[in-house]
Amino acid sequence: MNERSKLLKKVQMYSFAVTDASLFLDTHPDCAEALAFFNKYRKLYDEAKAEFERQYGPLEICSEQNAARWEWTDGPFPWELSAN
Amino acid sequence: MWKYEKKLEYPVRIKKTDPTAAKIIISQFGGPDGELGAATRYLSQRYTAPTPEVKAILNDIGTEELSHMEMVCAVIYQLTRSLTPKEIKESGFDVYFVDHTNGLYPVSASGDPFSAAIFQSTGDPIADLYEDMGADATIT
Repeated sequence: MNERSKLLKKVQMYSFAVTDASLFLDTHPDCAEALAFFNKYRKLYDEAKAEFERQYGPLEICSEQNAARWEWTDGPFPWELSAN
Repeated sequence: MWKYEKKLEYPVRIKKTDPTAAKIIISQFGGPDGELGAATRYLSQRYTAPTPEVKAILNDIGTEELSHMEMVCAVIYQLTRSLTPKEIKESGFDVYFVDHTNGLYPVSASGDPFSAAIFQSTGDPIADLYEDMGADATIT
């Protein structure tokens, strides 16, 4: 696995934790334990995402990486083998 | 509205093509219990959900189903790349290829195009919930 894939895997791992926690919180909005879990992984996700974007380009339209040059259209796209 | 994140929910890295497998897996894209149906089901049912919690969960699960659809499509896309005419014919992928080539078309493995007839949205939360459990069986 190359460095890009390794870093992306980290982003995906934290992103999944955030998504899963958010679905639980939807039906348990007063669960302090779940909210603490969500906050912990949201922070890790934000940090991993920022690190990935600095090196390999934007993951979101509003990323800082799009400010100087429109990097959004740079490949690879997520479904392509080389993006994984 | 929605915002796109330019990544898959989980990596898809298929080294060896397999059009025979793609023919089966495509049902998880456009078949009766596929991800497109799941996303459309929850995102249609959310409007008449009875409580804020149910509105939120249908909204967010429906959204996540779209990312499942994207992964399934990535699997099919990668399984069917750079096939030779011989591989297309011998794998049985030819019956799909004749209409869609390598394009991703939402269809069941038995060839039915995606249809909203595979799900319900009744405006009745109990009826919708039973429908969701029948289709997805993971809504716990």
